Amino acid sequence: MLVYGTVAIYYVMFVNILYFAIMGLSYRSIGTIAKRAKYSSYQTLSGSELVPSVSLLVPAYNEELTIIENVYCLMTLNYPTYEVIVINDGSSDDTLSVLIKEFKLEKMHNPEIRGTIETQNVRGIYHNPDYPHLFIIDKENGGKADSLNAGINFSHYPLISSIDADSLLEKDALIRMARMYMENPEETVAIGGDVRIANGCLIENGAVKRVSLPRKIWPMFQSIEYLKAFLGGRIGWSRMNGLIIVSGAFGLFRKDYVIAVGGYRGGYPGEDMNIIIKLHRYMLSHKIPYKVAFCPEAVCWTQAPDTYKIISNQRMRWGRGNLKNMIENRGMFLNPKYKIMGLITIPYNVLFETLNPYFRITGLLALAGYTLLDMTHWRILLTFMLLNFLSGYLLSVGAVILEEIAFRRYKKLSDLWKMLLFSALKFVGYHQLGVLWRVQGHIQYLRKNNSWGTMTRQSWKEESETASTA
Amino acid sequence: MPESLTLERKQQEGLYHNLEERLNKTFPELCGVMFLYCPGPPQLESLVSEFLRQETGSDIEVLKDASTSTLAVLLPGSTLNQAHYQALLLKRHLEETVPEADPRITLTVFPGQVDPTPGVLKQMAESARLGPSSDIHIFTKEEAASEPGRILIVDNDDTIREFLTIRLNMQGYETLEALDGTSALELIEKWEPDLVLTELNLYGIDGLPFINQIQKLPVENTPKIVVLTEQRVERTISQCFQHGVDDYITKPFSPVELDARIHRCFQ
Amino acid sequence: MFSHLFVAYVFIYVCLGLIGLGIMLLVQMKISHNREQQRREYYEQKHHDYFVYVQAHLGDDAELKLPPGKLKPLERSVIQDKFIEWIEQFKGDYRNRLIRLCREAGFVEADLKALGSFRYGRRLAAAYRLGGMRAEEAVPGLLKMLQKGKYNSISIIIARSIAKAANRPEDLLDMLRSLLSHGKPIHHLAADILLETKLDAGSILLKLLDDPDPGLVKVGLVAMWGQAVPEVMPVLGRLVGAKEKDVRAEAVKLYLSTNPALKDETIVQLMTDRDWEVRAEAAKALGQLHAAGSIPLLVKALQDASWKVRHNSAESLAALGEAGFEALCQAAVTGTGIQREAALHRIGLVMEAEQKHGAIEQMVAYNKKRLIHDRYFGVKQPVKRVTGVAAVGGDYTA
Repeated sequence: MLVYGTVAIYYVMFVNILYFAIMGLSYRSIGTIAKRAKYSSYQTLSGSELVPSVSLLVPAYNEELTIIENVYCLMTLNYPTYEVIVINDGSSDDTLSVLIKEFKLEKMHNPEIRGTIETQNVRGIYHNPDYPHLFIIDKENGGKADSLNAGINFSHYPLISSIDADSLLEKDALIRMARMYMENPEETVAIGGDVRIANGCLIENGAVKRVSLPRKIWPMFQSIEYLKAFLGGRIGWSRMNGLIIVSGAFGLFRKDYVIAVGGYRGGYPGEDMNIIIKLHRYMLSHKIPYKVAFCPEAVCWTQAPDTYKIISNQRMRWGRGNLKNMIENRGMFLNPKYKIMGLITIPYNVLFETLNPYFRITGLLALAGYTLLDMTHWRILLTFMLLNFLSGYLLSVGAVILEEIAFRRYKKLSDLWKMLLFSALKFVGYHQLGVLWRVQGHIQYLRKNNSWGTMTRQSWKEESETASTA
Repeated sequence: MPESLTLERKQQEGLYHNLEERLNKTFPELCGVMFLYCPGPPQLESLVSEFLRQETGSDIEVLKDASTSTLAVLLPGSTLNQAHYQALLLKRHLEETVPEADPRITLTVFPGQVDPTPGVLKQMAESARLGPSSDIHIFTKEEAASEPGRILIVDNDDTIREFLTIRLNMQGYETLEALDGTSALELIEKWEPDLVLTELNLYGIDGLPFINQIQKLPVENTPKIVVLTEQRVERTISQCFQHGVDDYITKPFSPVELDARIHRCFQ
Repeated sequence: MFSHLFVAYVFIYVCLGLIGLGIMLLVQMKISHNREQQRREYYEQKHHDYFVYVQAHLGDDAELKLPPGKLKPLERSVIQDKFIEWIEQFKGDYRNRLIRLCREAGFVEADLKALGSFRYGRRLAAAYRLGGMRAEEAVPGLLKMLQKGKYNSISIIIARSIAKAANRPEDLLDMLRSLLSHGKPIHHLAADILLETKLDAGSILLKLLDDPDPGLVKVGLVAMWGQAVPEVMPVLGRLVGAKEKDVRAEAVKLYLSTNPALKDETIVQLMTDRDWEVRAEAAKALGQLHAAGSIPLLVKALQDASWKVRHNSAESLAALGEAGFEALCQAAVTGTGIQREAALHRIGLVMEAEQKHGAIEQMVAYNKKRLIHDRYFGVKQPVKRVTGVAAVGGDYTA
């Protein structure tokens, strides 16, 4: 028991040193990121004929509350040529009719669908010449991946960008990504954006007007979690081209390669990780030089779940999706053919993400049992817990420093204290729940439970009303 | 009318007649005139004249309209540019030396855009005292004639809006500003401008949908639309013209050219 | 166990120390950032009247005065930023006057000095601002900076500064060469950067098209979109036959977009080019040129392997009057597979679009086409098309 506990202690230290190493890579990049965010000129680019055209794909399932605001937001991006394609995935609410009403859409008589990826039946495509760049695809329910595929089939442009219907893009977000793409057009196959939590922010006219931290605790914890994952983690991973996921909320892809790998995989959560793994696989096995990049200055604000039920559902789904992806791609595990992906990213994901809960729980149980047998050894248990807490906290502090160096979205000093406080509180309860949810997700996978669970939305207006009264 | 009031009125009127005479006879060459309204300091006259004498080194004159406590300052020999700069210094000086001062200045130069009739001079004094903004105001011919067109400036960029407002006001247009498409549409309906000078890229609603919406508004005369934008994609430009935009100018722009094109819309 | 614990203790202490340091650093950064922000806002307010003065008199002939009083460094930077912002927005005399003002205020001189600083951050900031102030004397220094660094986002920032500041076409070419020397196909970005120049674009484009380096030629071709430059037409004609696939495609696109008079053999040559992009562009151009003689070629192109070529050919046929439309109908009835699909699709679009027109001539034209349509497909029977999910072949190159 003690031996196992010791192993667990070393495991925790080792994992954290790895986390630090990745964050170290983020630190090496952050200077350049801050400079390019400050000095790149978007004014000229955003009106230029030379910027590649993009099709924005917005899968929507039961989004009647937020969809209008979202579409308005997406139609006013600072970008020369693009189209917005909303895919109504057989919603049971009024998503389609609110869209038709607001934009006075009419069914197109002769829509041209060029793509050949298998999807559920498309019932119709809606359009209004007054909004020349907006299209709505109405199709039978088939999940997010299926909707994205339907969007790809209809899209007109060589780049596609997937955007969640509960997210708002900053006006410059897309042009910032396009700038990154243009700097290395042939090799870049996907670019991920930075996702931040919009709860608590003041939203007006489909844009975040005043940034502040969420007031409820669930979104607040997620806010810090996202900061840590995106700034501390993904910047570092992208530096060695080992990104395993581009967030489904906001990512840019080359359409030709997405089609080459067969589009998105339907029927299971985690399609955003899946498409990236498939891209890595494809490019590596065809020996084409490529890059999966991360663009932290392109920001997407998303609505975080703010009740226990919804967040636990979401996390279980993630846990399930992650496990499924790892099992599906076990052939890449430690396979030198897949380079960084096979030798570092996938093993890291299996050992330190997928299996992490088990090491931690069993380690804690072992040490707790050991302590119960002989109460004089409480110090060992305490050490184990402190180790977990402090290293995790250090990572949070590191991420907040990255934010302060390059972005500074949260201006007030009080925001800083709040972030530091909640970074600590995260380890009392929330962190443990996260571990639990992941295990539950794995159990669901094994029991072949593949439901999406509930994901209810709040309208942006409500959200922003509470923000302005605060 | 009580006698004292009539007397004051006479005195007041006298001041502007007096000013007119001086401007026409004493300084027929070139003379900057600035009206200053700054309630508060008791010794304003001497404060002002001392400061300006020091700054310009030339003979300046300060007169006072006692009824409204507005000062008239004559700056002989200075061009509009110089007079404006002096006004700038004076305003800064007052703000720094007098606590809580809020100096309002209107200025012009004679002979220049307008003739120094008592009416014009009085209008200037009023505009210093009652003008809405604390910015230094330059009095122009168009303002004296005052039958301007109304222009709504729509742009999210503060720099551009500020510049256009200054420039169009100087040419006598009446202007309002809107930061985003939604509030612009509301303003057009309420204020009914003659012309909308807009960026294509706005918050709320923008681009072609915005242009279409303007044309569908229930106003008597649909305003002319001039687009001033970063957007240089040819297809967008031609679509804009198809949807009834009157002119399309890309940034960076030449202000002189912009003037000409706006002028053309008003003919 | 205790030695293991010792390792853990060390780890804990290191973490604690770093956390303490990190929090101190954070607070310090936050406070100093916020203070700088406040100072900036204060200075902007303080100089508000001066800014209004400059804007009101930019058009005058008289010299503009510099901001009054002695300025603190941050104050200077606030004013400089404002000037640069205006320079980016205005053209012509207004811009030149502002540039002169920057020189008189000593901003250019100060940044030229900062370009030699030891700190990279300062050098880059200076490079950015020197571009903004269009300071041609900075170009040699900037070029050196560009050539020394390895290619990343920062190179683009420096290149943009060079494009803005350069007064000599040679400097621009050097800048482009240096950008392209890393082997990345960044022609579009390079063209966008090039177009920031204050020099006459026409003569530079001509130089680029004549350059032996195909990379530069491509930048030139890409940059020519939207620029009407008549003097380059002969060069374009030559490039249409270029060996490099993408140079040829770009050149053809540009060449055809000017609606040139095409010889029959050129048309045939273009329509049988190896590159689908060339064929697609040629097919598109034939419709606009009203080259009725090319109908057989277009009908044949309806069977092309590339979706774009088929699509454009059908569109062009529909644009070629009744003869073209008849050929389209014929292809729809007698053709098979993708040819039929492409033709049917276009016919549907034509019939639908033309119904909506109101004017008399359009009505006449529509009815003529309808007559042809009904002859092939029968009266009143709607065109049988597979809508919705049916795909028109798989080609995603566009």
